[in-house]
Amino acid sequence: MKRVVRFRVNGEQKTAHVEVTKTLLDVLREDMFLTGTKRGCDSGECGACTVLLNGQAVHSCLVLAAELDGKDVLTIEALSKDRRELHPLQKAFIEKGAVQCGFCTPGLIMTAKALLDENPNPTEEEVRYGVSGNLCRCTGYSKIVEAILTAGEEIRRCNK
Amino acid sequence: MTVTLEIKKYTAVGKSIQRVDALEKVTGRAIYGDDIRFPDLLYGKVLRSPYAHARIKSIDTSEAERVPGVKAVVTGKDAPFRGGEAIRDQPFLAVGKVRFAGEAVAAVAAETEKIAEHATGLIRVEYEQLPTLFDVLEAMKPEAPRIHEELHTYAHMPIVNPIPNTNICAKFEFNQGDIEKGFKQADHVFEETFTFPTGHHCQIEPFMAIAQADISGRITIWVPNDAPHRLRKDLADAMGVPFERLRVISPPYMGGGFGGKGGLKVEMVCIALAMHTDYRPVKIVLTREETFTSSLMKHQAVVTVKTGVKKDGTIIASQSKLIYNTGAYAEKGPTVTLHGCESGVGPYRIPNVKVEGFTVYTNRPVAGALRGYGLPQSSFAHESLMDMIAAKMGWDPVEFRLKNALEEGSINPTRGDVLTSVGLKECILKAAKAIEWGKPRPPNRGVGIACEYKATKTPSGSAAFIKVENDGGVSVITSAVEVGQGIKTILTQIASEELGVPVERITVTSPDTDYTPFDASTTASRATFHMGNAVRLATKDAKEQIFALAAPMLGVSPEELEAVNGDVRVKGGSKKMTIAEVIRGKYRAGHTILGRGSYYPEIQGTMFSARSIFYMYGAQAVDLEVDPETGKIRVIKIAAAHDVGKAINPKACEGQIEGGVVQGMGTAVFEEVKFDTSGNMLNPNFRDYRIPTASDAPEIVPIIVEATHDEGPFGAKGIGEMTLVSTPTAIANAVYNATGIRIKELPVTQEKLFNSLKDRNA
Repeated sequence: MKRVVRFRVNGEQKTAHVEVTKTLLDVLREDMFLTGTKRGCDSGECGACTVLLNGQAVHSCLVLAAELDGKDVLTIEALSKDRRELHPLQKAFIEKGAVQCGFCTPGLIMTAKALLDENPNPTEEEVRYGVSGNLCRCTGYSKIVEAILTAGEEIRRCNK
Repeated sequence: MTVTLEIKKYTAVGKSIQRVDALEKVTGRAIYGDDIRFPDLLYGKVLRSPYAHARIKSIDTSEAERVPGVKAVVTGKDAPFRGGEAIRDQPFLAVGKVRFAGEAVAAVAAETEKIAEHATGLIRVEYEQLPTLFDVLEAMKPEAPRIHEELHTYAHMPIVNPIPNTNICAKFEFNQGDIEKGFKQADHVFEETFTFPTGHHCQIEPFMAIAQADISGRITIWVPNDAPHRLRKDLADAMGVPFERLRVISPPYMGGGFGGKGGLKVEMVCIALAMHTDYRPVKIVLTREETFTSSLMKHQAVVTVKTGVKKDGTIIASQSKLIYNTGAYAEKGPTVTLHGCESGVGPYRIPNVKVEGFTVYTNRPVAGALRGYGLPQSSFAHESLMDMIAAKMGWDPVEFRLKNALEEGSINPTRGDVLTSVGLKECILKAAKAIEWGKPRPPNRGVGIACEYKATKTPSGSAAFIKVENDGGVSVITSAVEVGQGIKTILTQIASEELGVPVERITVTSPDTDYTPFDASTTASRATFHMGNAVRLATKDAKEQIFALAAPMLGVSPEELEAVNGDVRVKGGSKKMTIAEVIRGKYRAGHTILGRGSYYPEIQGTMFSARSIFYMYGAQAVDLEVDPETGKIRVIKIAAAHDVGKAINPKACEGQIEGGVVQGMGTAVFEEVKFDTSGNMLNPNFRDYRIPTASDAPEIVPIIVEATHDEGPFGAKGIGEMTLVSTPTAIANAVYNATGIRIKELPVTQEKLFNSLKDRNA
């Protein structure tokens, strides 16, 4: 069974005829070819598929596409303002060496964005707790946490 | 021997330049296997065995074949091949019987994943259950039922010698000195047995492959595999076809490997399907559960170490027996065992040594290569025993290790070769210092240390090409795989240093066996050393060709030229030309300069048979706290000092260390794959098999030690595998220091510690 849903993805209005069993992750990856959002476990345990839904970080593998009507989705592909200038988080992840295999990176950056949007001045502990739903097997997290704290500083500096 | 490199200002080497792949990765533009699409792509699903050991009486696929949208259904008879690097023992799909729960029995290719899944459920298989063997010691007994009745007929690597009519698929032995005499000379002899749990790599990217056959039957496979050329060989051996009938293409990026994504995994069933889809490509992506049950695990192991020590603390003899549970198929189990044995008595000067290692089949899922390659298991045993000896003889654990530690010119205790480029003592001292070893600590706080040395597989080869284009840009053509470790960045830095071209003008390919030359594998921490050398030689070759062209243009001899910042210039003079001007000056209609490089150590023997071309050394020290009421461990700080030879990119080395330490911490405190009594995995997901999160990870102090190697590129050796080897033992030793409780069976779970604390306090 299919259902028509109208929602915004990365600022563009979309109308999609989606199977009711499909998830937001399926729609993003399979129908819209937004493959920057990764499928790691398909059950909300690894965080690799994290996107922002109305500004909140969600596991897109746990969101049914049929529930998207009127919602706003932001994925890693549209995080940088004009797709040329990088978001402070992206810059900090590069500069601090927070990227290794990169598979968890998009999800981590999206979670970190939601975190910093809500709390632009987090403590290290808050950052660690905030991204504890995003598993990374390569980095040991030190440089990721450092990157998020650095991006927070940069965002606060720009907002002054 | 170690040489002190002339103090030279490098332009690219030794600098923490930004990773060349970071921009793609932070913007979501990096392409991984599952991101690859084809217009006529089919999707594959696999039916897996619910039994750990059973005879297959019949398979009925007729109903599945009738489902609309199903293109192919295959079973073992449709792809009658057996593969395996060490021993050719694993069928592409089960034939006759299944040997572990999770083994591929049949597979479906269909227009959608849903159809394939539905059709897979319609396949009827009749099984007759057979006696199961899970315990590795039981499986070793002569009377144990056979898991591979035809073991004696299997082809295998020259160094692997299966014992016919047993479940022992490989046995290794190292002897130095006279072990009996050695123990007689000892004033104290200690012996303990340790067990190491089964675990999983937990790469965040699930296993996948896409395979396609063309009209001539030639097969192309896109797969995140850490050794595309080895994969091609393994497939060619299995299928009885020459190399050129197969093409292996690496997706640009792999989402974590840690040794697991090598050899034959999903490749086998994917190819079996592709041979029956009328030339349409078929993609299989394993679910997380399948990734746990049906890709590869870490070896469970039982290790006994016996060590003889003189009154003054000198270790005079050491004997160890290592038994690795390799599961239903050998995979790389035999060479994992071999490397475990090589480091089986630890990084110490011991004149009398005997090490025996056994690789044993059971009905567990397949275990194979995991970062550390047999050493986490062997190291846990001898480094725990070292601590126990130190405690009994009244030594400080750091001092006891320093007294016996390998140093420049020491004899390798297991192979007897003379060791050079040995940074071990510096690692021990620096790791200990970083956690303020020796400083009094409050109750329930403890410190622990462990150290290790590790071989790389030897001999093994790497080759590379360099293209220098007539605008001065450079391509590095290599089969090294970017698994996340940063090899593209490292090779960029090496090429930049040698040719004087800025890193921004250099690109590095991903492997494609049709175009990129041989590389043994991106494993064994060998890539920086072996491929680094090949790329350096290829770049040098291209540079010499460019100098030969430039010399007459600049009116000097080639020897008077140097390459700096994209220019060819006369040493000590002002005359210069850009590389682009040189190439265009000669080839006005356009051309390219081709450099070639090949590195193969001057060591005789088949793969894995020889003493290592280099050894890595490391030590890790831990500061932690144990809650005496609940047994909860809080790891406060881990200092990890690693001798990498020369850090081509220090930040990348730090990243390797930090990541390895946290993996090692997971192994120490909670990771363990569990099974029910019939051999089905109980925790094949991230909820029940917990890996460390950012909240679990402690403060890590990465310390780079550089005992340069005279044959390494700019003195470099390797790093990746060593970073998790010592962590579990350093943690277990710190738990002992904090509580007096000695854990001989990992992981040191809170439950285990809680119960031990209760007993201790009672």
